[in-house]
Amino acid sequence: MRKQIGAVVILGIGLLAVGVAQNSRSSTLVYGGDFSDLISLDPGISYEFSGGLITDNLYETLVKFEGEDLSTLKPSIATRWTTKDAGDAWKITFTLRNQKFSSGNPVTADDVVYTFDRAIALKGNGSFLFDEVANIKIGSTKAINKSTVEVTLPKTASPAAFLNLLTFNIGGIVDSVVVKAKAVNNDYGSAWLKRNSAGSGPYVLNRWDQNQQVVLDANPNSRLLPKLSRIILREMKEANTQKIALESNEIDIAENLTPDMVKQKAADSKFNVYKADSLRLQYLGMNTGAGSPFEDAKVRQAVRWALDQDSMVNVLAGGNARKVQTIIPAGLFGFNAATPYSVNPEKAKALLASAGKPNGFEFEMLVPQGSCAAGVPCSDLAAKIQSDLAKIGLKANIKQIVQSELLGIYRAQKAQMVLVGWSPDFPDPDGNATPMSDYGAKSLAWRNAWNNPTASKLAQQAALETNATKRAALYKQLTELQLEEGPFAILYQPKVPVTLSAGVKSYLRNAQGQVRFEKISK
Amino acid sequence: MLNYTIRRLFFVLFVVWGVSLATFFISQVVPGDPALAALGDKATDEMIANFRVKNGLDQPVYVQYFTYIGRLLQGDLGTSLRTGRPILDDLRDFFPGTLELSATALLIAALLGIPAGILAALNQNKAPDVIVRLLALLGGATPIYWLAILLLEFLHNKLRLLPGPGRLDAYLIAPPRVTGFVGLDALFAGDWQVLGDSLMHIILPAFVLGAFSSALLARMTRAAMLETLSQDFIRTARSKGVAETRVVIKHALRNAFLPVLTVLGGVLGGLLSGAVLTETIFSWPGIGRYTTDAAISLDFPAVMGVTLLAGMAYSLINLFTDLLYALFDPRITYA
Repeated sequence: MRKQIGAVVILGIGLLAVGVAQNSRSSTLVYGGDFSDLISLDPGISYEFSGGLITDNLYETLVKFEGEDLSTLKPSIATRWTTKDAGDAWKITFTLRNQKFSSGNPVTADDVVYTFDRAIALKGNGSFLFDEVANIKIGSTKAINKSTVEVTLPKTASPAAFLNLLTFNIGGIVDSVVVKAKAVNNDYGSAWLKRNSAGSGPYVLNRWDQNQQVVLDANPNSRLLPKLSRIILREMKEANTQKIALESNEIDIAENLTPDMVKQKAADSKFNVYKADSLRLQYLGMNTGAGSPFEDAKVRQAVRWALDQDSMVNVLAGGNARKVQTIIPAGLFGFNAATPYSVNPEKAKALLASAGKPNGFEFEMLVPQGSCAAGVPCSDLAAKIQSDLAKIGLKANIKQIVQSELLGIYRAQKAQMVLVGWSPDFPDPDGNATPMSDYGAKSLAWRNAWNNPTASKLAQQAALETNATKRAALYKQLTELQLEEGPFAILYQPKVPVTLSAGVKSYLRNAQGQVRFEKISK
Repeated sequence: MLNYTIRRLFFVLFVVWGVSLATFFISQVVPGDPALAALGDKATDEMIANFRVKNGLDQPVYVQYFTYIGRLLQGDLGTSLRTGRPILDDLRDFFPGTLELSATALLIAALLGIPAGILAALNQNKAPDVIVRLLALLGGATPIYWLAILLLEFLHNKLRLLPGPGRLDAYLIAPPRVTGFVGLDALFAGDWQVLGDSLMHIILPAFVLGAFSSALLARMTRAAMLETLSQDFIRTARSKGVAETRVVIKHALRNAFLPVLTVLGGVLGGLLSGAVLTETIFSWPGIGRYTTDAAISLDFPAVMGVTLLAGMAYSLINLFTDLLYALFDPRITYA
């Protein structure tokens, strides 16, 4: 009897819990995903995907992108901005909106100055966007008056790229009054901001229970009027766990279902599948250095004529990808939609013969462990490439190693062929064009020992060009040159399928991975 | 007894030192660069060099080891390369979750396994015995992963009897942290709703985690009981007219308990390490998931911290089990 009473009490408490919890369900969104990469919620430090997803909703940037479009900047904290050529430098002036932080403090020019200087001083993983890409230093940002800020950019940096990178979370304006008060040991308040928020975004941070959940509450001072009062990001690594939680309405959004599960949910009226774009490119890098089998551009073309990209996109990636062959991803300014290469083993063999390798050759292909873009196991993708190349007489010996070991070899120019991915650091074509084309940038072109002065020059010119038409023409020239001679074989650009409960409305995710929580309703 | 305990505790230190040496040198031969793993592909050479200097990775291996041991002696496990926090803080956050889960799993395993074993032994080759043996076989052979998904799908998703993954309902806010054990913290805070919800949430993962151990315990108890029940002193006790329940509990079980106790100690150690899968499937914030994340990102200081902790826990559990022997069997004394 006593046992039964105990059981009834426990059950009763459980039911009570469920009952009370039901009340807040309609105004709360629970977002299930793998957020285990989260290490800080400080916008000046966070550079991981999860950190970006969250801080984008806690902080506002001066300018932003709206919807899925990543080519037109829209006003955010700044209502207007102008770029002026001041002879030896660019002067970019922002006019700020009359707006409050969640603390009630007004957003002023001083906050912008503090935010930018802080981001540089913190030397976080994203700080290079400011000091290396935009070439700005502490002191480059000045408050002209309470609502006007001026940033001085050296002529070595691209004003367009600078404005684009401001949409990243590192450009999220922090409340300098609050943050300065929380600073200890010269840390610019980063220990405090790791687990608290001080922004003007649509949400404020309620709490972060590591490896469990992040809870955001609507910011009453926000002009963006969030539709839902609470957003909970619930950490679930396992696809099966996410599926079960989605089916039982414990979560409203599941980010990491397997392609099979996504297909099944797409056919079910209780769910919707949103296929978000991404800016990632899955590619093969070929070392063009002296003595390498891929030294001759004809050999690299032969590889491109051998690859069966359609099967990679439709079969391996289950349709969750787009076939591309040029170095700037779709969705960015300067994208070149040309796909001149198709599967043509005869043409490939002829190219090999004219390069003096009629009998093909043997080489090593480095492949990372785990998943490649669009959730395709890297080993499957590598096997497909191996079989495609075998048809033209090239024997790829697959060596599968951990990602960080692979990068170590690749970054030392010691790989023959690598299967890897790349995403631009900011939504500007220069995020791909320079690393992939300019040998002097010591990035991807360098790693593949591809030193092409024309390509370097085109990338540098295009980065700094402020006239859109001229810039587009330069990128067309560069992408065409890369198609012919470049060290890459671009395989595909993945999509990110997100599964939603049918009740979730106005969910949108741009190719940068940004989701505006304030627009979502349910 | 005291001398013995002190001597054994000294051995524990020795074991922990051995563990530290082994894990440290294993971490040195594992391929991959921790700096690249932590900073990613976009890091500049300068950033990587700075990271190496900051974390002492540029020093020779033996210097790194002595620095590590030196700090360890001061109770400092170092800083995680991945989370950037002191490892002790991370462990403090994640260990209670695993301990809570393992302890409940052990309780479930013992409550199911031991009585089932006794029941089977008392009814050797009869229906209850066959059923227990069959269940024990199933319990031992079912993969955790499969069992977890099956139970979640059935008990949670279809029947709505038990809550799904996680330590608490998403819509509930955990009580202020005192011990790190959500149930206890809720009790301190007087938050009955959270207490109830946390109890409901732990049932499924703890059962899944304990299923294998309960099967093991049932088989061990059964075998030990059968052996004891066939001995002369049991026959003597029965012929003296001692009540059967007293024969079973006082005479047989107490004697059969030693081998069971040994298994029980091993089971708890196994549960602590076997929690990885369960924690992943049930989104349980524990040390198992922390360790997998750390291992994948080559966060060696964190992996070493966990290994040391696990080694220490395992040695202490063994010591504790040995001490319990003396309690159950007066013939055993330690000098």
